[in-house]
Amino acid sequence: MSELETYRAKARAFLESMAPKYGRDARSGNTVEQDLALGREYMAARHDAGFAGINWPVEMGGQGLTHLHKITFDGEEMQFGMPSHFFGISLGMPVPIVMHYCEDKEWVKERVRKALRGEEIWCQLFSEPSGGSDLAALRTKVEPDGNGWKMNGQKIWTSWAQYCDYGVIVTRSDPTVEKHKGLTYFWIDMKAKGVEVRPIKLAGGDSHVNEVFFDDVRVEDSQRLGAVGGGFGVALHTLMIERYIATDSGGFGPHLDEFVKTAQTTELNGKPAIEDGRIRAAIARNHAMRAGLDSITRRAFAMMMAGMQPGPEGSLQKLVAVRSRQKLSELAMDMKGADSLAFDEHAYVKTDWGTSWLNAPTGRIAGGSDEVLLNTIAEKVLGLPQDHRPDKGVPFNAIPG
Amino acid sequence: MSILYDEGQQAIATESRRVLDARMDKSRLLKLLEQVGEHDQPFWDTAVEQGWTALAIPEEHGGLGLGLTELGLVAQACGAATSGAPFLTGSCGLAQALLQGSDAALAGVWLPKLAAGEVTGCVAFAEGSSALPPVSSVTFADGKLSGTKPAVPGGIKADLALVWADCAGEAALVVAELSGAARAAVNSYDNSRLYADLGFDAAPATLVALGEAARHLALDVLARMAVVTAHEQVGGAEALLHIARDYAVTRKAFGQPIGAFQSIKHRIAEMYGLVEVARANCIHAAAQEGSEEFLLAAADARISATEAYDTNARDCIQIHGGIGVTWELGLHLHMRRARSLAVESGNLLFWEDLLVNQLTGEKA
Repeated sequence: MSELETYRAKARAFLESMAPKYGRDARSGNTVEQDLALGREYMAARHDAGFAGINWPVEMGGQGLTHLHKITFDGEEMQFGMPSHFFGISLGMPVPIVMHYCEDKEWVKERVRKALRGEEIWCQLFSEPSGGSDLAALRTKVEPDGNGWKMNGQKIWTSWAQYCDYGVIVTRSDPTVEKHKGLTYFWIDMKAKGVEVRPIKLAGGDSHVNEVFFDDVRVEDSQRLGAVGGGFGVALHTLMIERYIATDSGGFGPHLDEFVKTAQTTELNGKPAIEDGRIRAAIARNHAMRAGLDSITRRAFAMMMAGMQPGPEGSLQKLVAVRSRQKLSELAMDMKGADSLAFDEHAYVKTDWGTSWLNAPTGRIAGGSDEVLLNTIAEKVLGLPQDHRPDKGVPFNAIPG
Repeated sequence: MSILYDEGQQAIATESRRVLDARMDKSRLLKLLEQVGEHDQPFWDTAVEQGWTALAIPEEHGGLGLGLTELGLVAQACGAATSGAPFLTGSCGLAQALLQGSDAALAGVWLPKLAAGEVTGCVAFAEGSSALPPVSSVTFADGKLSGTKPAVPGGIKADLALVWADCAGEAALVVAELSGAARAAVNSYDNSRLYADLGFDAAPATLVALGEAARHLALDVLARMAVVTAHEQVGGAEALLHIARDYAVTRKAFGQPIGAFQSIKHRIAEMYGLVEVARANCIHAAAQEGSEEFLLAAADARISATEAYDTNARDCIQIHGGIGVTWELGLHLHMRRARSLAVESGNLLFWEDLLVNQLTGEKA
């Protein structure tokens, strides 16, 4: 067995030992607060067992293993439905970026340890009402204030902000230069005076995202990450950290096996639905598409193991998987007919078609909308021209409203 | 088998593409569309000279002893060039049946000739809308074959056919020389595929498999041909992606390259997605040759490659506007080939059903 396969087996054994207490079934019926408390316990256990900070340096409190070890663990963990989702963004982007840019290493080490154990959570404050896809259009303002800074403005769609202790944030420090050039990046204390968090209830009924308001919030210059005016570069760096993550060709919805099972146990026109040509075509097309995405993932993994850079086709995963999950969920509901009308707001998104359908739009927008992903592929991979951008080369404060 | 191409495989891909780029000529291919019964001889001479006919035949039979991965890479280059003859796929299917069939002497006679490109093969399974009819209307008894197989790819010129037949109520796979067969050429929208109705009137033929073994072997042969064809489709779909991209960055309208309009650039990005999903399935399927998962992997490859080539033909022409539908530009060579390849080696409906049967454990 290869070293990675041994590691996978070890990870699996750990996860199996944890599943009765923290897995999908154990969590069923939990309120968000109960689930978060359980999640913190799980994160502490995961840290104790040596499966936290897998690819982070040992001197920062990580395990010092490779990126492949991390993807291997994440791929296994995903199958158990552990309550680790509260900590995914925190450990995925903000904490690594603070590790990279923050100069007070002792302070960072303490943060890393607490974040890995689920005792502290970090959020990422990027999107604003005036800029989601167009990140550099953000308006939250910082001004010099004595030997530090004063922050005013608003962020939105900030995941788990209501439970967060810290955050990383991009702000506008100079409105007189081009929009990308006048940004500065900081870490902030979410409990500081003047920070107000208001949860947003989403269409699916849950409230994991928030609006965050800043009213004369004092920020020390030691909280700045990167140069004044260098914030856009740090923001791009933040987004690149998670470039190769564990993916799910099911678009983070139900596995195709679930659809086949539903088709085998549902009657359509007096026959099992699995015998209906429309259902069969949908199964076959989705299988072919998902198998292709899985093969892309396996090949990327094999390339990384061989010390090569995976190809750009990995960028297709979320785009292709999530929108097809959306349509397949609709078809599953059609197939079940009136039986699909009953709705359980606590049902699990990977086993329930109604929940999968209702939450699919979020998946197509969060983390890069379909349209932005298509633009990125067209421009970065295929060399097609940028869209017409009237704000190009114009100082931020001169862009027509 | 690895899913990363090694140096030798990469060299095959590069070299086959280079040779075809240098030797293929669009005007020759356009002329062939209006001639029934002709294929592109320079293409086939190249295939033989380059050893592509020998690639997937074992060394003891005069071949190079390589597999579907290598043949697939050549097929991909052929697809990009809208190759001028259908024999690589047909001969691949025939050779596999000879290798796995029950008549070693027959294999010993024909495999070296197929490897050398001295004879060409075709595969005659389909009847009407059925890629592999439950009971064939062509009958085999006492070493004689009788009946008609419609629109067999390569049928006008192939020397040898692998035929799906019925032998007293049992399925039979037989090999027949075509020197005495009646060949009625089919005037098609893609004439260099050399479609012919093959008529057998008590023609001598040799059995290679019977009953359940024949069905099993026929499916394996179809799956191999499907994987080769899927590579060819990916080659065509990728060529169309590049043609569309190149046109979109040079052609200007309303004061900017048309590729700066999202309706165009998103369409091209979608074409890229279809190519990469199908390519990944092809690489996986070729590496699964001989495994239990092979049929399923072949179905995945075939379905995604058909979708990619059809869609990219449609969309590449649409992106070009008026010039795209001219005879001279020749995008219709790809559009025609996308359809002919989609129908050969089992159509989409056949592979969709087979895939679902594989998932649910029903017999194909």
